[in-house]
Amino acid sequence: MPHIDIRNVVKRFDTADGPVHAFGPATIAVERGEFVSLVGPSGCGKSTLLLMIAGLLAPSDGSISVDGRIVAGTRTDVGIMFQDNTLVPWRSVRRNIELQLELRGMDPRGSRARIDTLLETVGLHDFANRAPFELSGGMQQRAAFCQAMVHEPDTVLLDEPLGKLDAMTREKIRADLQRLWLQTRTTVLLVTHSIEEAVQLSSKVCIITPRPGRLDGVIDINLPWPRDITVKRSPEFAAYVSEIGDVFHRYGEI
Amino acid sequence: MRRTQRFGRAVAFPLFFLGLLVAWELSITVFKIPRYILPRPTEVAVAARADVPLLLRYTVVTGTETVLGYAVALVVALPLGLAIAFSGLLRRTVYPTLVSLEMVPKIAFAPIFISWLGFGLLPKVIIVFLVCFFPIVLNAVAGFVSLSEELTRFTRATGAGTWRAFFKIRLPAALPQCFVGFKYAAMNASVGATIAEFIGSDQGLGFYIQISTGNMRPDLAFAAIFLLALLGLGMFGLVTLAERLLIPWDISQRRIRGKN
Repeated sequence: MPHIDIRNVVKRFDTADGPVHAFGPATIAVERGEFVSLVGPSGCGKSTLLLMIAGLLAPSDGSISVDGRIVAGTRTDVGIMFQDNTLVPWRSVRRNIELQLELRGMDPRGSRARIDTLLETVGLHDFANRAPFELSGGMQQRAAFCQAMVHEPDTVLLDEPLGKLDAMTREKIRADLQRLWLQTRTTVLLVTHSIEEAVQLSSKVCIITPRPGRLDGVIDINLPWPRDITVKRSPEFAAYVSEIGDVFHRYGEI
Repeated sequence: MRRTQRFGRAVAFPLFFLGLLVAWELSITVFKIPRYILPRPTEVAVAARADVPLLLRYTVVTGTETVLGYAVALVVALPLGLAIAFSGLLRRTVYPTLVSLEMVPKIAFAPIFISWLGFGLLPKVIIVFLVCFFPIVLNAVAGFVSLSEELTRFTRATGAGTWRAFFKIRLPAALPQCFVGFKYAAMNASVGATIAEFIGSDQGLGFYIQISTGNMRPDLAFAAIFLLALLGLGMFGLVTLAERLLIPWDISQRRIRGKN
């Protein structure tokens, strides 16, 4: 039984002009501890799928189950991160990470060491007491990773977390993200429109077609970990990237 | 170098203001403006000194009207704004009503209230209340409904209950927008009190301005206007102080954003 079982999921939104088909159908099985990317062009509904996995949206058809139990309502065992981060300006970086625990009614004092380790892993230990708006965009996203991970979630859902960053910062944070995942081996679902990002980080890449997004195919990425610059320069890496690129080329996307 | 720079910045405004007063003083001599049209600042100061006890008593009168009206507006408008933000029914009924009433100049009600309630404190407090009420309520609603989709989803995914989510996320997130309303109301509160006094009163700085102008004593009227300015400044200063104490992070954030 897969950890997350997405079966024939379809999402339609009711609008003034009638129902709009936003996503699906798609059937995806995610095993525990996998890093799965959902790659597709803008507007294909991949973020919608992520929200459905979090239980923040209900599928119109089909079902999503976690460990065999159908998701019917907001899941509280996930860590979510968006393109626009959820750091609040009235708390320091450390207190923002603690916010995740406080909202859950947990005492953050018990997690000091864990927060220190997280901050250390992403290189933010010297910035723990800074306000988010004093940090660069890349540092803010690193802090947001810690916020999404601190409660040891069952699943981490990342909705284009690097979308607004410049190419160089993105590169660095991908490495941080990979290190964090290799340490924790939490199940991660990443929504991205970068093929390279998906191939570098994922054990499995799901290709989502243009609107309305359907699942075109799933590709297992069999490359060694950690995937640093040498792996990225390998012909195998390039082969994966062009294989996925070809699919979007067929759809006239690239 | 840095110290002289900081000093230069600190004295720039007082020096400029003083310059304006000097220009005013000199232009009266140069253009030979008669005293009953426009008095010199020095004449205003001399006239005010002769009438200090009355001016102070009237400042207290107008100040009381202003502060009471503002305080009542705050106590009523803030919870109402909250209720509107969190109730779909109120948002469809009370909110559009308030928005349409906002278009009515509140001062237009002043003669009616005075005819109902007489020349005393109460009608003035009500006018100040009306002037302050709308900006506070409308900005509070705006503040409480504008929580970002990301923070809403993040909060939901933690499973936090209504109260915990309110105090840890919704309330602090709404405060900057609330303070826009608090400040706007503070600036306009004494306007309401003054105009209400113009329409019907037997004391207060507005009353004093009317009487002085009628007696061809613009120097005394200007003294009262100066006190009204101080009153408004005091109100605004208090609200700004509260802002600094309650949401210092917003002020630092604005400062950093402003620099970029």
